[in-house]
Amino acid sequence: MSRPVSRLAIVGAIVRKDLVEYGRDRLWVFLTSLVLVVVIALFWLLPGDVDESIRLGVSGLDDPVGSLGLAAAEEGLVLVSFASAGDLERVVAGEADAWQADGGTLVRDRGSSEPLPAGAREADVVIGMAFPEGFLEATAAGEQTRVTVYVDGSVPAEIREAMAGLVRELAFAVAGHPLPVEAPGRVFVVLGEDRAGNPESPREGFRPVFVFMVLMMELFAMAALIAREIQERTVTAVLVTPASVGDVLASKGIVGALSGLGQAVIVLAAINSLRPHPSLLLTLLLLGSVMVAGTAMLAGSSGRDFMSTLFWGMLYMVPLLIPALAALFPGTASGWIRVLPSYPLVRGLLDVQVHGAGWADTLPDLGVLLAWCVALFTAGWLVLRRKVQAL
Amino acid sequence: MTETAIRVEDVRFSYGNLEVLHGISFEVAPGEILGFLGPNGAGKSTTIKILTGQLPLKTGRAQVLGMEVTADDPVVQAQIGVCFEEKNLYELMSGRENLRFFARLFGIKDLDADGLLRKVGLADRARDPVGKYSKGMRQRLMMARALVNKPRVLFLDEPTDGLDPVSSRAIRTLIKQEADRGAAVLLTTHDMFEADELSDRVAFINEGRIHAIDTPENLKLKHGRRAVKVRVREADGVSEQSVSLDAADAGERLGAAVRAPGLMTIHTEEATLESIFVEMTGRGLEG
Repeated sequence: MSRPVSRLAIVGAIVRKDLVEYGRDRLWVFLTSLVLVVVIALFWLLPGDVDESIRLGVSGLDDPVGSLGLAAAEEGLVLVSFASAGDLERVVAGEADAWQADGGTLVRDRGSSEPLPAGAREADVVIGMAFPEGFLEATAAGEQTRVTVYVDGSVPAEIREAMAGLVRELAFAVAGHPLPVEAPGRVFVVLGEDRAGNPESPREGFRPVFVFMVLMMELFAMAALIAREIQERTVTAVLVTPASVGDVLASKGIVGALSGLGQAVIVLAAINSLRPHPSLLLTLLLLGSVMVAGTAMLAGSSGRDFMSTLFWGMLYMVPLLIPALAALFPGTASGWIRVLPSYPLVRGLLDVQVHGAGWADTLPDLGVLLAWCVALFTAGWLVLRRKVQAL
Repeated sequence: MTETAIRVEDVRFSYGNLEVLHGISFEVAPGEILGFLGPNGAGKSTTIKILTGQLPLKTGRAQVLGMEVTADDPVVQAQIGVCFEEKNLYELMSGRENLRFFARLFGIKDLDADGLLRKVGLADRARDPVGKYSKGMRQRLMMARALVNKPRVLFLDEPTDGLDPVSSRAIRTLIKQEADRGAAVLLTTHDMFEADELSDRVAFINEGRIHAIDTPENLKLKHGRRAVKVRVREADGVSEQSVSLDAADAGERLGAAVRAPGLMTIHTEEATLESIFVEMTGRGLEG
């Protein structure tokens, strides 16, 4: 009687075989590599900073900075002086472009090939204030004047209201009167990391989404690997050896988790995002990979062929993707997305990578994610075991 | 050393409400080839699945090498080799890699994969991915895979089904070699010639019941008809007559036939396994 082979040796052999198969499946190798390359390239192509300033075009004032400078700065506006109200209107209407050069603001018709002076920078003016001739003198004399405010259709209503306030404030200042009310004192309490002046860039916001895309790709690849093993009944050949159903399932889980984790780490390293808490990020990613491996078992067990595996993979993937997409558009998602298994993963990644959260802050998310991992992996295990035993 | 490699006693099995095995019993000794002969759906593959732990045994008793058969029993499974009807090989891996992978599942690290591949005529394709193998090559690799652990019991489910004569012959030779080595072989087939050529004993199975189990010779003697067919060319064509060897005047009639001018051919009319199967079960082996 030969010596019984250890479970570890059996699982190791199946893991090795799965990795060889995975590496030789040209379709999945191509798709996986493509996703990795695209994700990394997209990250670096996305803007790394955000220009939050709004450019306010002004005409009719000899010294707009002197007249409006302080008030405009309080509203977060950058002043761009125009020679005429007509130029200003055409620029805000999108018929012409404004360029800031040493000699002042130049206005060129859109599409014009007229050369620009060296160092000219385009000024994206979406709001304009056309002051009438002699505005300051007339206002100081208490005469009625009319200021025309041009706004682009995309400017929010609150900014338009702010413009009205700006004009009123300017009128009081020019007339030498104080404001009719005393502004109340304001105390700002910043909760979490103060990102004033350093807003979250698209690049930062997309980081969890990119990691998630890689894990989703892994879901498909694993599901396809499992489905092929079932459809071609190679698993039956394995199960008439000393290998058990548990060995097969354990190896699939290990391959799925290792592969997902490996790819996610490659992406994070390539986008320079393994900081500030590498161990915490790796823990989050490991749990995410296990969750994905469990989901892949469900999808792989459900499919009868390539197309149906793809269909089931999509069916499982879409709900998992929702929290990642919602993270891109804060405030757009409903509360129910909190119950989705991927929610704690996305939130954890966002908190750690964007807001600098540590272990203590992330612990609740880790706990929920762990519970989901156990639930999904167990469900995948049970469904796959039943499928294998029914072959 | 146990005297019986496979022992099956009154095994019944149902898929849902459909009973497919109605209490079958048989034994296979070490070094013996038992041909399980029957049409598709007779219960041959179900029997193999139960004996290899792929299906749970619910009623009856099944032993392999004196051990009760249960699913996921690594001790039993370490001693058996299985050649499946479907070609369930890892197509992205080479023939050599397939064999080495399965050997590792048995704890064998130093498998002579190339030697095994040479045995089945695949040495020159050892490095090619199985996806590029022909049907016959895959079947030969399946056979080689069943042998990686030098099994004491071999379960072969239609091992030559749909193969060309050369591949079939290679596999038959291998089966005989394994039996000569001492392995008990349970061979399911619906090919009567294969069963006749290879089997020490043959079991006729139909609709989940074993109708007869004996050596091919005994089955033919018990159930067949001893006769000789003589064909003679005559002026107006060819005449044919059948001479029963059990008849009282068999010698005289046969002598007369042989001496007849225009003698063309003499054939024995020994019964085939298929004709006996049809006689016993009322249906053919195909389909």
